Amino acid sequence: MSTNLEIKVEHLTRVEGHGDIVVNMRDGVLEKAQLEIVEAPRYFEAMLKGRSFHEAAIITSRICGICSLGHQITSLKATEQALGLEVSEQTVLLRKLLIHGAALQSNILHAYFLAAPDFLGVGSVFPLVGSHPEVVVRALRMKRLANDIGDVVSGRAVHPITPVPGGFTRIPTEKELLGLKQRLLDDMVPDFLATVDTMEALAGMIPDFTRETEFISLRGDDDYALYDGDICSTDTGRVPDSDYMAMTNEHVVSHSTSKHCKVNRSSYMVGALARWNNNHDKLCDVSLQAAERLGLKPNCHNPYMNTIAQVVEAGHCALDAVAIIDTLLENGLKDEAPNQEPTKFGTGIGATEVPRGILYHEYTYDRKGRIAKANCVIPTGQNLANIDDDMKKLVPEVINESKADITLKLEMLVRAYDPCISCSVHLLDVDFIE
Amino acid sequence: MDVKVIAVGNSFYGDDGVGAAVLDAIRESDSLPGIELIDIHTDALALLDHLEPGRAHIIVDAAQMGLEPGDVVAFRPDEVKLRIRQDNLSVHGFGLPEAFAMARQIGRMPEKVLIVGVEPARIVIDTGLSDVVAAAVPRVVSIIQAEVDPDGG
Repeated sequence: MSTNLEIKVEHLTRVEGHGDIVVNMRDGVLEKAQLEIVEAPRYFEAMLKGRSFHEAAIITSRICGICSLGHQITSLKATEQALGLEVSEQTVLLRKLLIHGAALQSNILHAYFLAAPDFLGVGSVFPLVGSHPEVVVRALRMKRLANDIGDVVSGRAVHPITPVPGGFTRIPTEKELLGLKQRLLDDMVPDFLATVDTMEALAGMIPDFTRETEFISLRGDDDYALYDGDICSTDTGRVPDSDYMAMTNEHVVSHSTSKHCKVNRSSYMVGALARWNNNHDKLCDVSLQAAERLGLKPNCHNPYMNTIAQVVEAGHCALDAVAIIDTLLENGLKDEAPNQEPTKFGTGIGATEVPRGILYHEYTYDRKGRIAKANCVIPTGQNLANIDDDMKKLVPEVINESKADITLKLEMLVRAYDPCISCSVHLLDVDFIE
Repeated sequence: MDVKVIAVGNSFYGDDGVGAAVLDAIRESDSLPGIELIDIHTDALALLDHLEPGRAHIIVDAAQMGLEPGDVVAFRPDEVKLRIRQDNLSVHGFGLPEAFAMARQIGRMPEKVLIVGVEPARIVIDTGLSDVVAAAVPRVVSIIQAEVDPDGG
């Protein structure tokens, strides 16, 4: 049996974010097992200070290319609560449609481009393009349609512009929505079912690992909570979103420039698995059937299953998007202007389920409608302590395996959370061929 | 010539926003009427949605080329080694090299792709370009104009 082990995976060497897996065991005693974050996207607050309520959502949406929609919606909700801006049912429905598009896109990319290569034992998605081109083309087709939901509803897919405080500056047309509905039914649903087939063939590769965990997500009375709801812990139940500080407890740790979080235990998990554990009773039948086929059961404490929970959720997002379009059209599309007359200047909180978990924005506005104070708690920050706790339990359990296998299991664990630590600069690195 | 101009980069990250600034300059000067302008921001994978075999593409991006800040170089993808640095831990690591590699593999890589790289001076979280990179924007626009209309018509 191996009693000494040292692993250092230096993965993220991009300009803006850097995270390493560091494991150290000496004489059978685990000294260190953690994800070290050297830099993390926590500069929102300083940039927001002094900005007007029109600017807040635009700025936060530009921080990250993939998470932009979630930041934007959460920001709008915080601003509207702080300024007392009521929004219409149509606005809420259109925003829910946007969130479904963003969740679909993110979940599908994660399953196909990050998780599938692990399950197939290849280092990245590139070998899959050669061996399974139809699968990659399917993933890209699903991503494109998910993107197009954003294009139609918000005017632009990656950095939406028409959603503003109080509503939308442009309402999609009936024809556009019907076009989306048709493509969701004709393309997305069959592609989702094919995705379940693909994942079912791979699900046997998911490591068998369980650690009792506190899961935190939104929970509502009516739907599978993504847009709004109470904060719900699997340990202690529901509290209103105004309690978010007590439900995050951000604190500084020495090995990470991103703060860690804890509530009832030393850590908790947010994301698709937390949503599944709290809200599986609200999912549609297609998703529940997918869960059964993929071996995802209620009260699942295997973090690797987060990927499966994302896939299961994607089916719900596709079908609920169709239902939302139907409701919008039944109600009749109204060309309403956004409500931008503040009734107060105070503090507001937005809590939204974005693909990687629950996201909080809190703003305090001064009398001129400018941000005096801002606080954002991102999902990856909330998951970091949980990743460390998982590693500390996992390493002793697999210590007899080869170093390469242990390293792969640790990498897969981190990937299961799809951490967003490198999401801002996309510089091109160029060497000229002499 | 039928050309698509595609900007890549984050305009909230200093000079990484040079692509978006070039698109703005083209729009304001109205120098290339009717040309398709696309900003994919930081989602390099979205390039796969926009690359069309048979059409010509000009991609504008901040590029670390080891040159002086503000230097502008136009090159074809096969003239350079674009380092693939997919970080494996998140899809956020996808960049242009990965998008090109995938486009080639699935047969969507157009023959005509010109990359216009601008060496950045300042990559920090802030809006606005550094002076040297802002000064490079008209040169990028000229390169695009020459590509679209080689006769200078």
